[in-house]
Amino acid sequence: MSAGAPYLHKDGLPLALTTPHAYRRPGFWRRLRTGNPTEAQLGLILLIPAALVLALVMFWPIAQVLWQSLHFERLNVPARGRPFIGFEHYQRMLWGSDMTWDARHLLGWRLLAFAGAAGLWWGAARGVLRRPTALIWTVIVVLVAGLWMGYHPGEAGRWNDARFWNAFSITLLITVASVAGSFLVGLPLALLANVESRWRWLVRIALLIPWAMPRVLVGVMFAWLFNYTNGVVNDLLGRAGIAGPLWLSRAEPAMWAANITIVWATSAFVGLILLAGLQSIDESLYEAAMVDGASRLQRFWAITLPLLRPSIAVALIFRTLTAIQTFDIPYAMTQGGPGRALETLGIYVSNTTNSLNLGYAAALAVALFVMSLAITVLYLRWIYADD
Amino acid sequence: MRVAVVVGTALLVLNGTFPLLWMMLTSLKDENELIRIPITYWPEAITFQNYVQVFEQLPFARFMLNSAIVSLTATVVCVLIAALAGYALGRLNMPYRRTLLTGIVMTSMFPALVLLVPLYRMFLGMEIPLLSPLVAFLHDLGMTFVPTEARTPNLLNTYWALIIPYVALSLPIATLILTSFFQLIPRDLESAALVDGCTRVEALFKVIAPVSAPGVVTAAIIIFVNSWNEFLLALTFNTAQNMRTVPVGITMYQGEFAFPWATISAAITVGVLPLVALILLFQQKIIAGLTAGGVKG
Repeated sequence: MSAGAPYLHKDGLPLALTTPHAYRRPGFWRRLRTGNPTEAQLGLILLIPAALVLALVMFWPIAQVLWQSLHFERLNVPARGRPFIGFEHYQRMLWGSDMTWDARHLLGWRLLAFAGAAGLWWGAARGVLRRPTALIWTVIVVLVAGLWMGYHPGEAGRWNDARFWNAFSITLLITVASVAGSFLVGLPLALLANVESRWRWLVRIALLIPWAMPRVLVGVMFAWLFNYTNGVVNDLLGRAGIAGPLWLSRAEPAMWAANITIVWATSAFVGLILLAGLQSIDESLYEAAMVDGASRLQRFWAITLPLLRPSIAVALIFRTLTAIQTFDIPYAMTQGGPGRALETLGIYVSNTTNSLNLGYAAALAVALFVMSLAITVLYLRWIYADD
Repeated sequence: MRVAVVVGTALLVLNGTFPLLWMMLTSLKDENELIRIPITYWPEAITFQNYVQVFEQLPFARFMLNSAIVSLTATVVCVLIAALAGYALGRLNMPYRRTLLTGIVMTSMFPALVLLVPLYRMFLGMEIPLLSPLVAFLHDLGMTFVPTEARTPNLLNTYWALIIPYVALSLPIATLILTSFFQLIPRDLESAALVDGCTRVEALFKVIAPVSAPGVVTAAIIIFVNSWNEFLLALTFNTAQNMRTVPVGITMYQGEFAFPWATISAAITVGVLPLVALILLFQQKIIAGLTAGGVKG
């Protein structure tokens, strides 16, 4: 209000004529000093503390990890120092070291691929597929079969880090299984929690306890429930006449146990997000459907599920992001064991750090970071596509 | 259908509470009763010996104190910073605010694991850009009154080593929650104050602050729970017995091969008491906050 425009009139004359010098709008510092900054100024000032914290504790460390992953550093080999080695860690992780190219390596398979490419051109000549498509596939075949498949470790070299791919596939398995599981359990939880009843407070508590428990302690707790001789799970199975497996000392049951535990810990959260979605659905839609004679199941498929889609998207993607970082629960249950059956990427990073190979640990962490980033980008595209 | 709902609700409640109740039952049993086959469901002779053991074997009271100090400080600091940012992003008419909010929320997707090594180095003490080379240069010139070297202090095994990362890790979520709360406050409230002659800063403290109290409480609870539960950083940064937090401390009861389940379950029961109390007191608020943000899965 005080910041009037320069063409305002005073006493019937333009402001510029009544004042000895041209009117100037108060500048940045003046507005700040007088305690009356513009909204954008005030906003920027209020964002400074948050920006500082995030820059110092999030962005700076991540830049450091990226830089670190290009260096050799083993704290137990201090003599070698911290030399720059470029992308060697990534090469070791994804590709292999000292790989040689050999024209005769996997020759049969490669010739077969080239024969397939020739087949594509035959098909293109017959008009079965278009020429550009055939061209693209031919380029792919030349690169993969002509170049890539010719590489092998030879006498001196080594294949890529098998432990990384083991951790990668375990992380992927846990992600798929636990995200699907927590959704399949979380949806019924949300539907039940949405029912009006006297016991709603109890339902809310039952949904909040799994969320609020520390993940490590959930792992410890379930390790006790899954105990072979004295655990309650095997006791109940025994009463039903089933011999319970050695849950935590065999690879496959351990994977089941870990996934069940993760689903228990996370499905309540999915349920809460879906519950919020359910409560925002307009009741009158159901009433209209009831008038039209739709059955309960029809109403669920035609109204509830489609309108719940945004909440489902949010819940699934948050779950996926946290599932990729799975660390606490398998660590608390078996320390990544038996063997390496539960060694997720998170546990592998932590183990590599503990064995003081900081350079490679950084490269592994970057792999984890890239996976999270890819999913985040997907998530943002999904969210903004809805707007 | 009615029966199905009742049975389903009962299952839901059982599913959510059973593991914790089982821990409580276990903690009341004698060590010998635990290894008996078949297992007993209700303790035959209730004993509180395990709880005594929890506090005698390790300084568990100290763990609780450490967790409380770290979590409460992190909560206060984080709420203050997030409230300022949330007000800016939720209320003020500033350019790119949607993009800024997205950027801040995106940082919550960074795996905390990635921060492990760089933060460890940082807390171990590191060179300060510009200042450290300057001090070294002056010292080389013969100025003996300047310190030999300027580095950040070693923060490992202090509360700060945990408070700082916890503030940063919860900041995106807290900002998201508070932004959405500030957006709900009617704009007229503030405009009225401005018309009455308040400056923007006065309006912020006299009008907006009291109205936003519920949102602040919600954000605070969620930050507190996140900080109380954090494990990996606490395990790595604070290795001294006296500086351990509750989740890390509880994992220290197990020996190399032996699991004293009775003691561990008693420790878990005590360790999650503050969380259960928060849930009992603030169920509605926590749920409102979780669904505003989508917090941790």
